[in-house]
Amino acid sequence: MRIKNINIGIQAWFDERIGLQSITKFLRGKKVPQHKHSIWYYTGSSILLFFSISVLTGFMLVFYYKPTLEKANESIGRIMTEVPLGWIMRSIHSWSASFMIAFVFVHLISIWLTKAHRKPRELTWMSGVFLLVVSLALGFTGYLLPWDDLSVSATKVGTDIPRSIPVVGCWVTKLLRGGEDVTADTLTRFFGFHVSILPLFILILIGLHVYFIQKQGISIPLGLERKEERVKKLPFWPNFVYREMVVWLLLLGILFTLSIFFPPSLDKAADLMAPAPEGIKPEWYFLFLFQVLKVFPSKVLFINGDTLAIILMLFFGIFFFFLPLIDNRPAEKKGKIITFIAYAFIFFAIVMTVWSLM
Amino acid sequence: MKLKHSLFTRRQFLNGLLGGWLTALVGSFLYPIIRFVFPPYKEPDKVVLPFSDFKDMASNSVRIFSWGSKPGLLKRNDDGSFQVFVGVCTHLDCNVTYLPEQRKFFCACHDGWYDENGINIGGPPPSPLRRLIVVLEEENLVIKKEGVE
Repeated sequence: MRIKNINIGIQAWFDERIGLQSITKFLRGKKVPQHKHSIWYYTGSSILLFFSISVLTGFMLVFYYKPTLEKANESIGRIMTEVPLGWIMRSIHSWSASFMIAFVFVHLISIWLTKAHRKPRELTWMSGVFLLVVSLALGFTGYLLPWDDLSVSATKVGTDIPRSIPVVGCWVTKLLRGGEDVTADTLTRFFGFHVSILPLFILILIGLHVYFIQKQGISIPLGLERKEERVKKLPFWPNFVYREMVVWLLLLGILFTLSIFFPPSLDKAADLMAPAPEGIKPEWYFLFLFQVLKVFPSKVLFINGDTLAIILMLFFGIFFFFLPLIDNRPAEKKGKIITFIAYAFIFFAIVMTVWSLM
Repeated sequence: MKLKHSLFTRRQFLNGLLGGWLTALVGSFLYPIIRFVFPPYKEPDKVVLPFSDFKDMASNSVRIFSWGSKPGLLKRNDDGSFQVFVGVCTHLDCNVTYLPEQRKFFCACHDGWYDENGINIGGPPPSPLRRLIVVLEEENLVIKKEGVE
């Protein structure tokens, strides 16, 4: 029997049992629109790329990492100095997490600006907001694991923030910390969040998100939609996937270069009784929130400044989540105010971030 | 079907019964989980430190001790008396430090300032540092929460 026949035989065997044909048929039929904004379509798969790299390097790191008060910092020290190529494993893990979050922001803003969140894609947007939250939570929990002064102080602040939310706040803080204060229990808890609970959630959410996208088809931006017949379409497989691979190769090159030349640092193990070190900073994607908390006055009309700041952030978060329901105009209408809010938010975030670095 | 003087139908009654039973069942599963994730915490009523360790402390200086899982700050005043604070910022819980030259407590996380008596004087902290009571009992410094005998 010739190899080709064997191959066909195997395919037929599987097709009979799990319906392979429907998948190949779907892939053959899937088309990606080509227009001047189609560069944004690559951000989604780039996020997946960085997520996969984070997962793989995470598997590696967990072989050596020990999530206890005595060993956490030391075991990362060991990864950085003794384990063959351990330093680059950690560096790639850290950098690819940063890249993933950067691309999540870009992805989100591009959808906001092209109004791709509108009907019928409301749920795609909302699952995306959850994905953003889980991604940030992964970054936040991962930041504590090296257990140095900087990461412990950042965690103290971060986990104390919910306390300002009325009624449920202090319970959220206790849940996150595993008690009243940041202690060894917080470390094990964060490790659990980081390596099992959050990855499970993110996988479920990615599944939903991708399903919604397949269900609705890829959105074509405003203005172009009306002349839809004239928009060129590229077959997803293999044409678009090959293009994506070129983008991935480029990104991998940048990722590895940065990982090699700028590995993350590691300070000495944290002392829970020591004063917070000067110049504490959270990860770059929390800097603008950090700066807001820093500059808010202590009292605004008899209300604690931080309470007010946090309630405002919460309101913004709710607005953000319900954006497709608030901005519920038909997809072909323009949305000047919504666009303006997006630009205002970008401007605000950049100004606050730069300010926090000064 | 509804009996003559009944307030609701048989179906409503059974649905209510089943629904209530299911809620109670779910509740009985959730309760232990919720209990489990919140570990017990008790702030110490008092901490006893041997006075001999602190006898020679210079005035206008601060020593750290463990107040449960928080740092306690024992400060010696100019007149030789002691003042004790819980050393966490009232803004967002970072550990504060004492700067003797400036006679101020300082929180590095968001630039919070307190004067030498722990009163918030600058930056985001909304209230003074929490105070503890210190008394000298025989050879020991006993540090207590306010209102504890």
